[in-house]
Amino acid sequence: MVDPLLNRRDFIAATAVAGAGLLLNACKSDSGQHTAAVKKSSLNTLNIALIGFGEEGNVLLESILNIEGVRLVALCDIWDYHLNAGARYLQKTGNEVRTYENYEDLLAKEKDLQAVVIATPDFCHAPMTNACLKAGLPVYCEKMMSNTIDGARSMVQTMRETGKLLQIGHQRRSNPRYLFTLNRLLNEAQFCGRLTAVQAQWNRAVKEDFGWPKKYEMPAATLAKYGYKDMHQYRNWRWYKGLGGGPLSDLGSHQIDIFNWWLGTTPKSVIASGGLDYYKNHDWYDNAMVIYEYPLAEGVARAFYQVQTTTTSGGGYFETFMGDDGTIKMSEDPSLCAIYREARATAVSWDDLIQKGYVRAKAASAADAAKVDVRETAQLAEYEIPVFFNKPPHQPHLENFFNAIRGTAKLNCPGDEAFSSEYTIHKANDAVAAQTRLAITPEEVKA
Amino acid sequence: MADIHQFNHRAMATYIEVRIADEERTYAAQAAQAALDLLDKLESQLSRFRPSSGIAQIAQLAPHEKMRLSEPTFACLEIAKKMELATHGAFSPTAAALQTQTSLPQWSLLPEELSIRCESGRLEFDLGAIGKGFALDRTAELLCSWDCSSFLLVAGGSSILAGDAPKDAAGWSCGLGDDNAPQRFLLTHASLSGSGLAVKGSHILDPRTGQPALRQNRAWALTDTAAESDALSTACMVLSEPKLEEVLAQNQSWLVFLETGVSARPMGRRALPPQACLPAKTAGAGE
Repeated sequence: MVDPLLNRRDFIAATAVAGAGLLLNACKSDSGQHTAAVKKSSLNTLNIALIGFGEEGNVLLESILNIEGVRLVALCDIWDYHLNAGARYLQKTGNEVRTYENYEDLLAKEKDLQAVVIATPDFCHAPMTNACLKAGLPVYCEKMMSNTIDGARSMVQTMRETGKLLQIGHQRRSNPRYLFTLNRLLNEAQFCGRLTAVQAQWNRAVKEDFGWPKKYEMPAATLAKYGYKDMHQYRNWRWYKGLGGGPLSDLGSHQIDIFNWWLGTTPKSVIASGGLDYYKNHDWYDNAMVIYEYPLAEGVARAFYQVQTTTTSGGGYFETFMGDDGTIKMSEDPSLCAIYREARATAVSWDDLIQKGYVRAKAASAADAAKVDVRETAQLAEYEIPVFFNKPPHQPHLENFFNAIRGTAKLNCPGDEAFSSEYTIHKANDAVAAQTRLAITPEEVKA
Repeated sequence: MADIHQFNHRAMATYIEVRIADEERTYAAQAAQAALDLLDKLESQLSRFRPSSGIAQIAQLAPHEKMRLSEPTFACLEIAKKMELATHGAFSPTAAALQTQTSLPQWSLLPEELSIRCESGRLEFDLGAIGKGFALDRTAELLCSWDCSSFLLVAGGSSILAGDAPKDAAGWSCGLGDDNAPQRFLLTHASLSGSGLAVKGSHILDPRTGQPALRQNRAWALTDTAAESDALSTACMVLSEPKLEEVLAQNQSWLVFLETGVSARPMGRRALPPQACLPAKTAGAGE
């Protein structure tokens, strides 16, 4: 069994000798240690604060509570409806937290913190991250880094100036299935052969704008103080320029980051089409289709990405890497993952891959080569990626962050590396606006 | 007639309806959206088919191992445990484990740690109906926080949870049986669940024996919460009438209906709700 607190380096080492099956089991890492933790922080027990307890903050909290040696001591949100719900929830889980409306108050009063997790709207990320880093605290900040390139760049600069850790929440970079498939199948076994194309999508079904219980509406003065025109804009900040980056940023950022990560480089150009064609009260495009050109050593690979918020969620969310030998389809949803290989790809056989533990046969294949049974046409054997991973998707990335603070791991998505993806994503929004092909140089994607 | 808005969704392997009365449509739609988002979140925590759900992870615990649960998962299991005891084992959230194990697995909840400990066997939970009922109960809480107190929640046609009555009505008209069932009641602040073999066949196992349910006719349970009514109606399918009498004697707020040919016969100490007339068109006026 692989250690549940696996970091990237350990994971790669562990999987290098993988057998026929690989089980990554989370459930034994969270055996109620929180309540026994000592009050004073230490590297064994990290006191942390969570800033932002909306939709994403909720998701991160559930993972944080699963992780041994981490204690949430402070919670911050400008909306008392969320803040009180968070405090009540934490009380039920045996965690008493101090609550704050303002992150600056939190930083001023909390003197025994070892880290901060930020899950606020995008336009808050840069000022909050910079303030926390300057206060001497490592930061885990949700993606996007910022709603502007300048904001993201300032975060990298502060990270460098302070020498504090900054992890960006592209959580797939710590996902064991992604790590295994990239390192073993794509890179080592060259499963896809020459990569020529990538396709990814994330479509979300049409739905109502977020509302709010009338009796919990924030006062106009509070909304204005924190940068919102009104309650609707606060609840639906993702659709507004100046607050978020639209669907390419919200949904596409995870997957476009994977383009860069898995292809090992950044694109040399982007062309895109999109628009605000469905919703009447949004600022940002509600749909977009993007094509990047990646200059790989063997030639160009084109990567197509589509995000729709004007359709059903049909097909789900995935990234497909296609080469002349094979195709790997990845997703956070394991049921969508698949691998395909052309018959012409003979350099490495399925049997070799099975023996190394890099793939697993879904159905039993013929074991006795001296025997054959003749009947109706048989189905082709199917293979799958042999990583069983049952933690909540964000948990390994948070664990990687906390382990990096303890000095036992290296960040899987540090701010400077995330910046390259950040820039690539912002450029897609620019390309939609420009309605023309935009060049991207290797220099400009660096912070 | 009251202004009722209906919103449909697919979750928990069935269809879900949120009906909200006497509210402005946009506000009702946003409240319903929040409710349906909550249902999806609860499904991700309670479904045994989601590898990262607490329920799926529990199945990997070895005897004497324990694991922290999310608050909703823990709360749902607490109710399941309570219902297992209250029905004298006729309902069990681990009944499906008898398909692969010779006896029911044993487990304990540790409230101070919000954890579950495996005592023996493999903890193969199938929260099935009680999970849906629990999700309806939590959804009702959320709708009340939005001040949408006049609601009817429907899960797959087999469980409903009624809030306040729509304006100018004494309750939500709910029938026992198929569409436009003649035996109807006006429900408020109550949950009605039905169990039977007509739709899914012999899918209910008697947790005490591992054998399929003996009762061939339908049963309904009327209680205060949907988690309770779902568990109780399931238990009704395997309990003999004398045993069912014993179970119902313990709780004043439970009422059961057993299908007996023409009509359903009530059992239990809860007062019968007011009867409703068969509406001219369909039950509950949707949009």
